Amino acid sequence: MPKKVLSDGTEISQPNRAVDRLMKRLHVREVPDEEKPAMAVRWLDYYRKDRRSLTLAMEGCVKCGVCAEQCHAYLGTKDPNNIPAARADLMRRVYKRYFTVQGRLFGKLVGAVEMTMDVLEKWYSYYYQCSECRRCGHVCPFGIDTCEVTMAGREILWALGFVPELQGAASAMVFERGNQGGMTQAAIVDTHEFLTDEMEEERGFRIEFPVDKPNSDILYVPSSADYLLNAETLKGAAQFFEYVGANWTISSYMLEAGNFGLLTDQRSVQRELVRRLWWSVADLGIKKVVFGECGHGWRAWKMYTETLTDYAVAGPGYTYTKVPLVNIHQEVVALLKAGKLKLDPKNNRLAPVGTYVTLHDPCNYVRADQLGDVFRYVLYNSVPAVREMYPIKEKNFCCGGGSAILYDDPEMYNLRIKFFQKKADQVRASGANHICTPCSICKAQFYPMVKEHNLTTEDGKTIMPVNGLIDFLGAALVFKGHRQI
Amino acid sequence: MYFFVGKVLPYITVAILLGGITWRVWRWTIGRIKFNITIPPFPSSWPAAVLWIVWQIVSFWNVFKFDRPLWFGAWPMHVALAAIGGGHVLGVYTLGMQFHLLLPWLVTEHQSEAASNFLGTVFGIIFFVALLYLLYRRLAIEKVRVISATSDYLHLLLLLAIVGIGDYMRLVKTASLHYDEARHFMAGLFTFNPHPLPDNFFFFLHFLFVQIMLLIFPFSKLMHPFGILWNRWIINRPYQQPPMGMPGTKITL
Ligand code: SF4
Ligand code: SF4
Ligand code: SF4
Repeated sequence: MPKKVLSDGTEISQPNRAVDRLMKRLHVREVPDEEKPAMAVRWLDYYRKDRRSLTLAMEGCVKCGVCAEQCHAYLGTKDPNNIPAARADLMRRVYKRYFTVQGRLFGKLVGAVEMTMDVLEKWYSYYYQCSECRRCGHVCPFGIDTCEVTMAGREILWALGFVPELQGAASAMVFERGNQGGMTQAAIVDTHEFLTDEMEEERGFRIEFPVDKPNSDILYVPSSADYLLNAETLKGAAQFFEYVGANWTISSYMLEAGNFGLLTDQRSVQRELVRRLWWSVADLGIKKVVFGECGHGWRAWKMYTETLTDYAVAGPGYTYTKVPLVNIHQEVVALLKAGKLKLDPKNNRLAPVGTYVTLHDPCNYVRADQLGDVFRYVLYNSVPAVREMYPIKEKNFCCGGGSAILYDDPEMYNLRIKFFQKKADQVRASGANHICTPCSICKAQFYPMVKEHNLTTEDGKTIMPVNGLIDFLGAALVFKGHRQI
Repeated sequence: MYFFVGKVLPYITVAILLGGITWRVWRWTIGRIKFNITIPPFPSSWPAAVLWIVWQIVSFWNVFKFDRPLWFGAWPMHVALAAIGGGHVLGVYTLGMQFHLLLPWLVTEHQSEAASNFLGTVFGIIFFVALLYLLYRRLAIEKVRVISATSDYLHLLLLLAIVGIGDYMRLVKTASLHYDEARHFMAGLFTFNPHPLPDNFFFFLHFLFVQIMLLIFPFSKLMHPFGILWNRWIINRPYQQPPMGMPGTKITL
């Protein structure tokens, strides 16, 4: 999309907007331009009364500036609007004008501004430059979570008809097929067969992927992007379930660990995923749901499912506590620590000896569930050598792809490259020659970005490979004969 | 003017301050804590969560870890503020005898008053210098300047004025006000029998500016001591992880 020019002449980059036909599929009716500002204020009023986290983010900031140097988006672009406090200020100024005493009385003096189309256009630019990584929330002395502001901003924009094409298309697929990649059952089975053949070549025996198998104990929910981009992660998970002899299945009705609803539209898209999850659980007799690799996805399932699971979505009886939701990493580590998995790090198909793997901690896994140590436990046991970057764990910087701002148009793609700057510096300084990141959005960002930033192995020519964590685990599992029992 | 500031305004100020704080906090509780959106560390129990919040508040831990230069301004500033606030209450109420009353066998009355004067002066100067540094920082560091509104500077200037006048009264004998005069005046206010303001222009200004600060307190970012409690209440809370171990597998935990 060409740059958007505001009425004062400034140019901003924005993601491509969804066409009307796509918005209909998302149940979004575009509000006419002249009504948008007034409507946005009404939505803001709704959200401030709905979520305490938003009200506090609006009213609690003291502008200390601690968060500024901590946001990879600001570090990469040096655009002052990408300072977390300034990003939140795009909304806070309007909030002040309409919902606070000081803003109504003193206006500009306290930084309050009217809601206009320009403000909304800026929102659409800068709320889609935030990756909702929550590093700012982690460092803020008050714990102000700018991600909450971004989310509310995006939801308001969404309701007004500012829908980015990428998130819109993926979300429409959620309504129609239950996953963001638009995979049909036939395509899923097809991919599985292909992967089973591949594993037969590597391992010498077939490992099947059960699909929609009734009376399964475990529902494995991979990220649908794994089918298109990260086949190794699927193979890793299949090998793990085969190894432990699980009665597991994959549901074609609910094939999405990721959750664009969390990122853009919690009211309907995220609810739809929650509904599909509980329906699959009921239909297939599931006792435990294991989620595959996806950072923001896990945050959504861990933190939001309980509230979003209400009678209307799940029907009576299917509640959070009855069927536990976990992620695959934690299950793997529990078994590893109990000494039940035999791994051979020296004999890993994906990481031959001489490979130095560095681990990029996906923000949402480490800042929503502190899984840094869990990842490391798996990784150190699966690959020959690890070289850490700095900082790591919950202090890690985002890769810049978070919240699926994975736009391809030249303007936004350029920004993506800049958002990755900090990460590229970190990887380079680590001295590793292979990247591991257990998040499908991270992977989708890394694949092109290692090329753009020319992150190479020692020879200076080969671009660094990128893999998930379960990929390495699967390849390091030692099967005795066919079944490990 | 002296009549209004000394006898009427204080009651208005206190009413607006308390009413304003209550109103503002009530507003914060309209929205509910919808999702358990916690941030590391993930304490496993409520006491651990509360301990973390308290630690954050007394040490400014995040500022210390992520913005050391700011910490060297902000933390001493707030400590001085706390000391001076406490000192005003105790010093004026006990006429500077607070240390003597606390440790009668160790500190004489005379020493207590000297200590009270000394600490008041020292913290007053720390407060002033730290505020100046914060103002400088807001102006000089670009990333902080761009996120600042005019009111952010005005808050600092107002505090500087209050502290500057206070320090001046401490340091310049002719401008100073004795504890007993202040106590007499305050006692009048508290017993709803207001006495006239002491005849000291600096005290008048000091007292007026403090009231202005208290008046805007509930309607500005000065509310942040409450804000930190309410916000951390959302993001620092315990979480119980579902038990590990997969049902129906041949290899089990
Ligand atoms: S660190 Fe927190 S309080 Fe400070 S400017 Fe950023 S959001 Fe505001
Ligand atoms: S959530 Fe991440 S990208 Fe967004 S403002 Fe905060 S640090 Fe920046
Ligand atoms: S893409 Fe990866 S690094 Fe970035 S927010 Fe998601 S989990 Fe975090």
